[in-house]
Amino acid sequence: MPMLLRLSGVNTYYGQIHILTDVDLEVAEGELVCLLGGNASGKSTTLKTVIGIVEPRTGTVEFAGEDVTGKNTSYRIKQGMAIVPENRRLFAPMTVRENLEMGAYLLGRAKKEDFERVYSLFPLLHERRNQLAGTLSGGEQQMVAMGRALMSQPKLLLMDEPSMGLAPILVERNFEIIKQVHEAGVAVLVVEQNANISLSIADRGYVLQTGRVVLTGPAKDLLEHEDLKKAYLGR
Amino acid sequence: MSEPERPAAPNASDAAGRPKIGVDEWVASAEERHERSRGLGGLVSRGWEGSPAEAKLIVFVALASTLPFWMNEGELFSYGLYTLLYALLALGLNIVVGFAGLLDLGYVAFYGFGAYGYALFSSNHYGLHWQAEASIPLIVLGTAAVGLILGLASRRLLGDYLAIVTLFFAQAFVAFVNNSNPKVAGEGLTGGPNGIPGVDPLNFFGFKLHSTKQYYFFLLIVFSLAAVGLYFLNNSRTGRAWRALREDPLAAEAMSIPVNRLKILAFMFGAGTAGLTGTIFAAIQTGVVAGNFDVALLITIYAIVILGGLGSIAGVLFGAIVINVSTQFLAPSNDHPELKRWLFYGAILLIAAKIRPWSRTAAVFVGTAAFGFVVHAIASGISSDWTNGTVVDAGSAASAIRNWVIVPSGHTGFQTWAYIVLVAAIVVTSQLKGWWRMAALIPTLYWVAVVWENVLVQQSAVTALILFGVLLIALMQARPQGLLGTARVEIV
Amino acid sequence: MHLPLLNIIDTVRQLGWGGAFELLRNGIVLGSVYALIALGYTMVYGILKLLNFAHGDIYMVGAFLGYGVLSILGGPLAPTIAMVPLILLMFLGGMLGSGVLGVVVERFAYRPLRNAPRIAPLISALGVSFFLANSALLLTHGERFNYAMYQLGGDPNTGLPGPLNQPAFSVAGRPVTVVQVLVVSTSIALMIALTLLVSRTRLGKAMRATSYDREAASMMGIDTDRVIASTFFIGSVLAGAAGVMFGLYIGETYYLMGFLAGLKAFTAAVVGGIGSIPGAMVGGLLIGVTEAYAAGYVGGQWSDVAVFGILILFMLLRPSGLFGAKTIQKV
Repeated sequence: MPMLLRLSGVNTYYGQIHILTDVDLEVAEGELVCLLGGNASGKSTTLKTVIGIVEPRTGTVEFAGEDVTGKNTSYRIKQGMAIVPENRRLFAPMTVRENLEMGAYLLGRAKKEDFERVYSLFPLLHERRNQLAGTLSGGEQQMVAMGRALMSQPKLLLMDEPSMGLAPILVERNFEIIKQVHEAGVAVLVVEQNANISLSIADRGYVLQTGRVVLTGPAKDLLEHEDLKKAYLGR
Repeated sequence: MSEPERPAAPNASDAAGRPKIGVDEWVASAEERHERSRGLGGLVSRGWEGSPAEAKLIVFVALASTLPFWMNEGELFSYGLYTLLYALLALGLNIVVGFAGLLDLGYVAFYGFGAYGYALFSSNHYGLHWQAEASIPLIVLGTAAVGLILGLASRRLLGDYLAIVTLFFAQAFVAFVNNSNPKVAGEGLTGGPNGIPGVDPLNFFGFKLHSTKQYYFFLLIVFSLAAVGLYFLNNSRTGRAWRALREDPLAAEAMSIPVNRLKILAFMFGAGTAGLTGTIFAAIQTGVVAGNFDVALLITIYAIVILGGLGSIAGVLFGAIVINVSTQFLAPSNDHPELKRWLFYGAILLIAAKIRPWSRTAAVFVGTAAFGFVVHAIASGISSDWTNGTVVDAGSAASAIRNWVIVPSGHTGFQTWAYIVLVAAIVVTSQLKGWWRMAALIPTLYWVAVVWENVLVQQSAVTALILFGVLLIALMQARPQGLLGTARVEIV
Repeated sequence: MHLPLLNIIDTVRQLGWGGAFELLRNGIVLGSVYALIALGYTMVYGILKLLNFAHGDIYMVGAFLGYGVLSILGGPLAPTIAMVPLILLMFLGGMLGSGVLGVVVERFAYRPLRNAPRIAPLISALGVSFFLANSALLLTHGERFNYAMYQLGGDPNTGLPGPLNQPAFSVAGRPVTVVQVLVVSTSIALMIALTLLVSRTRLGKAMRATSYDREAASMMGIDTDRVIASTFFIGSVLAGAAGVMFGLYIGETYYLMGFLAGLKAFTAAVVGGIGSIPGAMVGGLLIGVTEAYAAGYVGGQWSDVAVFGILILFMLLRPSGLFGAKTIQKV
């Protein structure tokens, strides 16, 4: 499988604080990869480095065979990345439709097919399209956030903590949707604290600890890994 | 595999999802630049920071005491007395902005209150002629009370709202004293646009201050006492609470620090200091008018505090010296008019000397000189009236300037265009990179000289104000902590 | 006993309904100028949470640019082109020039401070305001430049007012002049255009998204720096238009005019609810009318104090303004 995303030897700093140390990470086309780690392990920073909000001090980010280190976020999104940020980060005072439009911002005018594709995935959003995003329930907001990211027909979908702040039943639904998106051929990189559920749908996984990759391997091997069981799975 | 203990990394996004990281990173990079400052400047500033506070004060007082022995009366008045007056005024502002992080743009109004207060109690206006030992404490307390009222009224306002309310307050104060002159006890209270003339000199228990020297030493004592007082205040419990407040107001509130009371306290201390300075100012000037308390003064005082560094007492003094001396050099009434030219060109050279490496600096200077002669030759070739204008206040350098800088006569509108072109040239030059920038720098530098000789030198007082504006903008980017302060001041 | 309140009642009685209408008319005209300035404040505050002190001075520059166009085309006494294109060109010059100035100011004074503690851009803004006002003082020597309303297209020999000062219609025997109609209708047109821009266009939506959550907007691929620059451009264009309008209506420009107008426009933005576009319009009118009535009934020197009073009142009783949502400070 050709590689879609490759981080090699990434070191990221905030001021003088060293956040990521020599992170290597790969996502193949159409693959579902999860990135696990506790609080302050550098998960979100990895994601921000991928999308270009934070620049690594050393190391490279390659996407679709091209070195995109130093390119801005807009460029990377144009190349086919999309992100569902932590806590969804919807534009609360705008309608659902307008939120979706923002997802397709770089395409110029949002196309009808894109809306229809998203509405067919989340029929509820079609009903709620003129409602303000801030007035939706948590689960509905998650749908908007996913739909917004899918508007640009990304090759790689980045998900930052999709289970955060959601009821367990919604978490399950959410991961079903992620699986569905993945099955449609989109590569997904999920950043999660909830190792159990994310490993259950992922192809491969990485475990981050204080800014370093400490474990990596196929998802089913990680599920059986002793250290991981103790730390995350509670078994 | 348990998570090791470690302080929360700044990327741990908060509940609202808005990262604070931006601010932390910005401050860190600003401080980093500070650390890197090498050379003589860095050495002096580090040496200064390292020495104990008592030593600093003694050095300063010793040096300052020599001033009256080698300056004449006029110089002592404009360079010595006014520096101290500004420094004292800036000390008060430093409490409000630097210690407590309140952006108070109405600060000069308190200074005005003090000055008008003294003018009412100790002048011919009502014929009261109170002694200073009675009127000054009363006025300081009264001004602090006004600060309390304004502080109470705006205690719930956040940062920039407070700024606009206080700015408006200052405007209302000036408008009031200038326009309405209500009759009180058979006499207009504020004297309207004429102000109140005939204010008494300071008079303590029958001892009258009358020479500049006496006022200078009096101010030196007052300033030293105020600085010592503030030093202890800053290191007291209240001072530490203020520091918590200005670095993170919300966290401070969560730690049950009484935010409102501290804000109001800072307001009162600041207002009181401003009131005290105002009384001395009224006595020195032997009169007050509303125009003394305008926005220009506000910006001057802000420039002092920011240049010196928010939160630093020694910084205030540095700032006051630099700002007041350059204001006085650029003042139209300056006895040595050629000084302003040296000050201006010196400052430009200093800034241009920041270019590295040195060979490039030299190339730019030589290039600018050559460029000037070429332009001058072309201009005089076209018509002699492009180069036969009068060079103002040139002194010994007049002929050199006349042969290098074009000073046209009779071309109306040249001044306006020259200035606008200069601003545009600076804008463009700063956007260029590498060699292009060097190339653009040469005509820009020459044009600086042209604009100075044609426009700025004739209105050097306005030039000083423009430069203070530029100073504020440039400092915020290059060195937000000023000379000696801290970059980390959040407005409350 | 001399009671000031009785004075006011006397004045109200003297002026009668006609006088009350005249004050209302003046207030609405002035208020629509304030409203246009307030829009720029509100937009910039919404997107950067920055109180752009320099905004009032950009308005002042707009007024001077309008005067510049007027004087290049022959001045108020002998314009070389017809009235309508002359006024259009004045608006164009004032608006474009101010717009570019706004973008340059943002690029220089605010963009490098994007992540700084909030006090840094505020002080930078003070510096810009001071720089602009004093540059104008330098170049104008503090003179008041006269748009010469009465002569603009009028007869300098007889002193007859030009067409702009002819009454367009009258209400209760009190005239409403052409320039007053022009000012109010232009500002209404600009406000409608702005509302459409913000609610309908892609740029407008990006502006709203950026002002709600800048980082999330950039995650969607929105170039937030460019959106912010556009916001400054639009806000400054409106301020430039306001400057030209003020010049046409009042007749003169002055280097300090931006300071007080800026304060009042900011008050208008606060009264309407900062960040709210309809709020800025309503706030502007409210401030304009308050000022006119305070000046007419109490005395000219009290108009600033009255506006200040309104500001304090709103700050204490309803800091979120008429249209603003109650904001919760994020921790």
